[in-house]
Amino acid sequence: MSGFWAIFKRELFAYFVTPLAYVLVLAFVCWQGLHFYLLVRSFAQAATVSIDQGPVQAFFGGDVFYYLPLIIICPAITMRLFAEERRSGTIESLMTAPVGTPAVVLAKFGAAIFVYATMWVPTILYLIIMRRAGEIDWRIVGTSYLGVFGIGAQYIAIGTMMSAVTRSQLIAFMLAAILVLGVFLLGLGEFTLDEGLARDTCSYVSIWSQMGELSKGIVDSRRLVFDATLIALPLFVTTRTIDAWRWG
Amino acid sequence: MSAAIEVERLTKRYGEHAAVDGISFEVQRGEVVGFLGPNGAGKSTTLRILAGFLGATSGTARVEGHDVATDPDSARRRTGYMPEAVPLYGEMRVREYLRFRADLKGVPSRERTMAIGRAMELARVDDVADTLIEHLSKGYRQRVGLADALVAKPPLLILDEPTAGMDPNQIREVRALIRSLGGRQTVLLSTHILSEVEASCERVIVIDRGKIVLQGSPRDLAERRGAERVELIIRADVPPFLALEGLEGAKIASCRDIGQGLMRLALEIAVDSNVGNTTEEVVTRLSGAGIKIREVSPAKASLEDVFAAVTHGDDDEDLGADDEGESEEDGEGESDHVDEPAASAQEGEDASETDETETETEGEPRRDEEEVEK
Repeated sequence: MSGFWAIFKRELFAYFVTPLAYVLVLAFVCWQGLHFYLLVRSFAQAATVSIDQGPVQAFFGGDVFYYLPLIIICPAITMRLFAEERRSGTIESLMTAPVGTPAVVLAKFGAAIFVYATMWVPTILYLIIMRRAGEIDWRIVGTSYLGVFGIGAQYIAIGTMMSAVTRSQLIAFMLAAILVLGVFLLGLGEFTLDEGLARDTCSYVSIWSQMGELSKGIVDSRRLVFDATLIALPLFVTTRTIDAWRWG
Repeated sequence: MSAAIEVERLTKRYGEHAAVDGISFEVQRGEVVGFLGPNGAGKSTTLRILAGFLGATSGTARVEGHDVATDPDSARRRTGYMPEAVPLYGEMRVREYLRFRADLKGVPSRERTMAIGRAMELARVDDVADTLIEHLSKGYRQRVGLADALVAKPPLLILDEPTAGMDPNQIREVRALIRSLGGRQTVLLSTHILSEVEASCERVIVIDRGKIVLQGSPRDLAERRGAERVELIIRADVPPFLALEGLEGAKIASCRDIGQGLMRLALEIAVDSNVGNTTEEVVTRLSGAGIKIREVSPAKASLEDVFAAVTHGDDDEDLGADDEGESEEDGEGESDHVDEPAASAQEGEDASETDETETETEGEPRRDEEEVEK
């Protein structure tokens, strides 16, 4: 894995020295600020609050405000990873350095995850604010962030893969957004389909119910296996795609 | 000890088209070898395979005994590669970029600062160390690429058109640098400029349409050139043929009216005669006949003739190129072609090609001296 840290550091440098990371983090923070504000208002007007339908559950996956930015922002983080290197040709210097393809893919993926995690850091403030109004179960907060991380990692892995199949950042973004949206909508089948195999499948891939469980503190190993699969598979495909360029 | 580069029957196909077609060559350690060919001959493809960026369709390539396909890490660790377009990260400063590259190439962190300093000094980019790469001129970017290739002190340097886009002073510096690396490091550089090979290489491999058509020292190449040429621009009311009648050691290759009463006269100097003496004789005779001479320019350093002969000389028959082109017989057979297609091709192409070499020679008034030193 030699070269991993060098590339990881350079990727972070590229994110934070250009406006991209700041624009994305800013957009995300504004969005979540609005989200939090609306939640607080609606809970303030509610007569009673049940124990597992509190503001924490609502904030982490209780409504579409949680999912929508992920579907847009994750592909925006990843779109440049390989597409830009191919367009500018820097991929040639990168891939002729003594570093293996898996290390390159993991370093870029890791840097994107780091940006994604940075984006979520300000949301801890909301929890601190909520704590002043009432009790917060930090274990539930922990599992919620596990869900945030798992879903983000999936989407970023898919985005990394799509960035490797084209030279155009825009196309990489569109492809990743479509695929991520597809997976998300498939999960919604859980709520619309009749009982049967199709509904079971949908419920298995449903990110909505995954967040629903995790934000109640339920950690289901099947969900984690699913997350790991949706992270590992796209990254594997990315590695193969990059190796395939050489033989084109 | 294995050779620095061993290439055996290397082929790279894109669909039906073979960009590199079964080439084999070796480069010994410490050699400076020029890889010469017209654009699209397969130079870059071969270098990219050697650097590990592309995979070969068939055949093998080894760097100091390490196969680039099966043992890529060891092979790349020994190679400093400078790609043709010198792609760089524009958002980084030169020093930051070289630090990243040194880190990536496994230069230990203790030695990194020194290695970067040394590479920047050798490639003469120390004056732009803290400039953003996107603000650099083409020549500087080129030299940052060179510094990148040098930074980990690899035993082998693969440079794809290292002087493209540089001004004459920079070209001279880079050529001097490459010459000075010879002996300690192996250098394989590609170019389509013949004077570059003459200025910096000990050996030259000429490639055309994916095949090696000639291997040897630049001197060997020069000998294949046959006759040297002298060009004169004269003002003559009478044709110059009469004045030059019976001249030994030279014959008129062409004589064209270029307007305003001027003529461009090209003389071919026979291989066995002295160019200087013959030129003196020609000038004496011409002025004796009342012809005014504006310009005398020896086409001395040019290898364009050989280049044309071994690469484009067989445009209409591919058979010639198919049998390797390395045996003596074959070579002679090819230079026979020169008279017809190459000569005519030169009328048109020479104008642009010699222009290129001429401007270069102008920029390097001291090149002759350098060659003498050598």
